[in-house]
Order: sequence, then C-alpha cells, then structure tokens
Amino acid sequence: MPELNPILIRDLRSRMRGARAYILLTIYLTILAGVSLLLYVAIAGSVGSDLNAGREIGRALFFTIATVALIEVCLITPVLTSGSIAGEKERQTYDLLIASLLTPWQIVWGKLASALAFALLLILAVVPVMSLAFLFGGVGLTEVLIAIVGLVATAILYAAIGLFWSALMQSSLGATSFAIGTVIVILLGIPFLIVIVTLILEPSALSRLLESLWFIYISRLFISLHPFIALGTTASQLSSGESPFFEVVRTGTANVVVLSPWLLYAILSLIATVILVASSVRHIHPVQPESARRRRARSQDRQDVLGERVSKR
Amino acid sequence: MTAIVETRDLTRRYGSNLALDHLNLTIPEGAIFGFIGPNGAGKTTTMRILTTLLAPSAGEARVAGVSVVSDPRTVRRLVGFMPDFFGVYDNMKSWEYLDFFGRAYGIPAQRRQQLIGELLELVDLGHKRDDLVMSLSRGMKQRLSLARAMMHDPQLLILDEPASGLDPRARIELRELLKELRALGKTIMISSHILTELAEMCTHIGIIERGKLLAAGEVQQILRSMRPHRIVEIRIVSGAAHAEAMLRTHPDVLELRREGARDTKENESEPLDDATGPHTLLADFAGDEHALSELLAALVTAGVRISHFAEQSGDLEDIFLHVTTGIV
Repeated sequence: MPELNPILIRDLRSRMRGARAYILLTIYLTILAGVSLLLYVAIAGSVGSDLNAGREIGRALFFTIATVALIEVCLITPVLTSGSIAGEKERQTYDLLIASLLTPWQIVWGKLASALAFALLLILAVVPVMSLAFLFGGVGLTEVLIAIVGLVATAILYAAIGLFWSALMQSSLGATSFAIGTVIVILLGIPFLIVIVTLILEPSALSRLLESLWFIYISRLFISLHPFIALGTTASQLSSGESPFFEVVRTGTANVVVLSPWLLYAILSLIATVILVASSVRHIHPVQPESARRRRARSQDRQDVLGERVSKR
Repeated sequence: MTAIVETRDLTRRYGSNLALDHLNLTIPEGAIFGFIGPNGAGKTTTMRILTTLLAPSAGEARVAGVSVVSDPRTVRRLVGFMPDFFGVYDNMKSWEYLDFFGRAYGIPAQRRQQLIGELLELVDLGHKRDDLVMSLSRGMKQRLSLARAMMHDPQLLILDEPASGLDPRARIELRELLKELRALGKTIMISSHILTELAEMCTHIGIIERGKLLAAGEVQQILRSMRPHRIVEIRIVSGAAHAEAMLRTHPDVLELRREGARDTKENESEPLDDATGPHTLLADFAGDEHALSELLAALVTAGVRISHFAEQSGDLEDIFLHVTTGIV
C-alpha cells in the first residue's frame, strides 16, 4: 500500500495534538448553535401559529446556519494554510524539506490536504446543526447539497489562497495578512463594485445594458465570484421554482440560458484553485530567490555580531 | 582514495557580491574535512550548493561524481545535511521527527521503525524517544538533527557549524559522535570557527576566505607546509643562563624567546637567574630530528638540568591567522 503524504501525516499529528483543535471546533460550533437558538427564539415569536410557521422557521434556520458556516469557513481556512509553508521558513525547516526527496508538489499537496481535512471536519460538524432545520421542514435536499458543495468549494479555494501567500512570503504574519486581505477584497470588493456600477450608470443605460447578451454573461460571471451572492442568488432562484442547474434570462428579443450561480461559482473556484496551487508549486523551488537568501544572511550576520558582543561580555 | 566532493571553478554571485570565486575543492572519501574561514567567507554558500539548496552561478560541483545541477535528486540521496540552525516543529516527539524525515526520504515503514531505534541509540537519545523535540536541550537537538541527517544513510554528511552554541560537554559528545560516524565509513564535511576542535578531529582541512580557497589538504601536511620550522619548549631547572647562551649561538635556532616575556628587549636585558625558579625557553628550530636530539645531548652534557624538552604541536589557529588576512 502506498504511504500517505509525509507532510499530511506530520501536520495532522501536530494539529490534532493538544487542545487547540478541539477549542477551535468548540468555539465554531458554539457560535453556530448560539446563533441558531437566538434566531429560533426571535422567529418563533413572530411567525404566529399558522400552517406555514414551521416551514418558515426551518428555512430561516437553514439559511442562517449555512451563512454563519460560510463566514467561518471563509475566515478559518485561509488562516489554516497561510502559516503552513511560511511557517516552515520561519522555523527554518524549509531547507530541510527542500533538501529531502519530497517534491514541491508533495509539499504543497500535503499542506493543502492537511488544512482541508480540518476544514472538512468543521463542515461535517455543521451538518447535525443544519439538520435541525429538517425538523421544521421547508428545506429540500437540493438546497442542502448545494450548500455543502458551496462550503466545500469555498474551503478549497480559500485554503489555496492562504497556501499561495504562504509559498510567496517569508513570514507567516505577512502571509496571513495578505491571505485575509485577499478574502476581504473578494468579499467586500465585489459587492462594492456592484453598488458603484449601479450608482454610476443612469437608469436608461442600465436597462439597455440588461438587454445586452454580453452584460448578462459578464454580470453572472462577476456575481459568481462571490460565495455569498452566488449561493444567495441560487437560493432565491430555487425558491421561485427555477432549475437548480441553469437559469433562463428573458430579454426583449430572446431567452438566454446561463448556468446557475452556485454551479458557476464551483467551476470558477476550481479553476482559481488549480491556478493558485500551480503557482504555489512553482514558488517552492529548491533554489531560493537571491534577495531572500541575502536578507536572511544579513540578519544572521547581525545575530552573529550580537552573539559575539554578548559572549565578549 | 576517490574524491566524494569535487568542485571545479565553482562560482556564486549574490548580485554584484562574489561569494565564491572559482573554488576548486576536493574531499576524499572517508575524510573528516574541516572547512575553515571567517564569517561570510563562503563556507555556507559552498555547503548549500553541495546540498542542492542553491544553484551555482558558474562552474561545477559533483558529489560522488553526480552533478548537483543536472541531477539534484540523486545528490540529495547521497548527502545528509545539518544546517547551522535547528528547525523545531511544535508538538512533535523525537521519534516522530525522525519518522517524518524517514518518510520524506521514502524509507519503507518497517525499516524506518528499526532505523529510528538504532539512530536514537547512536546519538544517545534512546531514552528521549517520546519526549517532545521542543523540550530537548540544545545539545540533544543537535544530536537529533544529526540522526535526522543520517536517516537515509547518506555517504556524505555536511554539517554547518555544528558546534556553535553548544556547551563544552555537548561539544565533546558531538566530537565523539563524529568519530563514530567516521568509523561507520561516512565522509564528513564540517565547518566551524572553533579551530582547536577541528584540529583534533579532522583529517583534512580547507581554508577559505572571500570565496577563495587559500589552502587545502591533509591536516599534518598543511601544518608542515605552513610552518617549515618547529617550536621547541625547554624547561630548565638550573643552568638557564648557560643554556640560553648556547641556544643563541646554535646555527639551527632561528629565534629564542623566554616564555612570558613581553618582547625581545626584555629577553636580552639580563642573564637568567636559577634562583628565580625554573625558566621556560621557546626556540624556533630549523633542524631535523637528529639535530634536535644532538641539541638536547649537548645541553645535558654542558650540565644544564632540563625537566621538559618537547616540540610544541602545530596550532591550526596560527596557520589560520598566517594564511588569512582577516578581510571578508
């Protein structure tokens, strides 16, 4: 039987040892459960007691839990990977890895897989909380499956974002900052641009644009870059009875068929992940860039000088 | 002996800075090769090129005949590297640390388990098998690091400043360990700035400065070639003044100093007085063994009572200062 990736085993061993992993999982689930409870209390009082009350509670619970889980995945996964390769550089174990028989691909894959294994644990832990919604009804299997695909695609992409910065930067602080920065740019930048575009364009121009085929494609592509918008749009399309896989946009002249945003989001995430992982592998090159090596040599020299001064005293 | 390391015109530039300047280095198989040079002389650069961590700007480097540029993977199998720092993983036990690198070198599971036990015993850490690496002392970490470098049974061990930061006991333990490794047939390349240590354990040395190899070869050979004459230490209980006069006029004595004298003026000021206790004279002697024995016989015949007559062992430190200019 071929052995598992050494990095994966090593990282899982140290990640799951001690209390850290359990504390993180506990906090994560406490937040989810707390939000669900508060929501239930708030909605149960307001919906009254008609026949649809249960369905409404179920849907509200499901979408809230899915949203909170998505927020947590967006924030946790890039942090899990951003420290991985940069951390090896900081601990000065990077050279030992490079000088071994591990290939750059093995290193990247091991780091990504160990982070994803933990992220997957977080996602699986959400399922029982999510299933509370089934007690009330109003949520179909399609919605649940799409939510899980969305969470998994997000976890993979955002882990790859963290990994990319980790391979590029020399310190895990720098890598984490850039990874979180990238996440913020995606999550806040896209809605910001949408708002700006609708504000700039005059209503007449906007309605002309809405008829244009290019605008339909580009705008769908654009909103599918954002996990919350893509999955939210899909949810509203599902509730209005559209197909889970495609959407028919009716313009004045023709009917345009486009992929459902969640599907587009999953495909785009996959493409972005492949690109990010490939560039991470390219950055893990046995021969270090000259500038980085020189910087480290200089700081080493400074330490030597300092050490000599101390020893002279 | 065949050469395990061979570099030809090895050059490495960092921008405009020339770190290695046409280095031609040969290390024979089975040697303990001490690589000496001031900080920034190019020792680490050479070692990083030989471990495939750095590409040369020009020239060639081969390990056991394999080029580090064209076949780095094979070179990595041949070389065990211990850098001048110890990379610690959080939350990792000693055996897991070795297990991880065993996996990284593709060692089969069964062999790995056996090897971990053997290597931990070799570096005297058998009792620390289940201790977290972080909790080990610096000397223990260094030994664990050496065990790690040995995991894939490399022919050549490259150790960058292994003794730095170790206390005297840990240094002695490390030295003993290196001797054991040599007995196992490993070639060891070791860099250090603690010259006396290198002199004790190395069979060969290379002195590098500003990226250029100033001298290289067997330790004894270098000591001889760098210092053609020997220093003889003579401790005289009585007849010191007479002995001093005899030595000054001896044709093979190039220079004579009194031990503890600050300069030669003080030496010549007044004759030695036996009453002030035994005196020690240091003579730079240019003659051979026969001439030396004749000198001793002549002194004894002349009634000089000698309690100690010995050649001072060559000191690497002197050679180092003699060869290098101190400019980095």
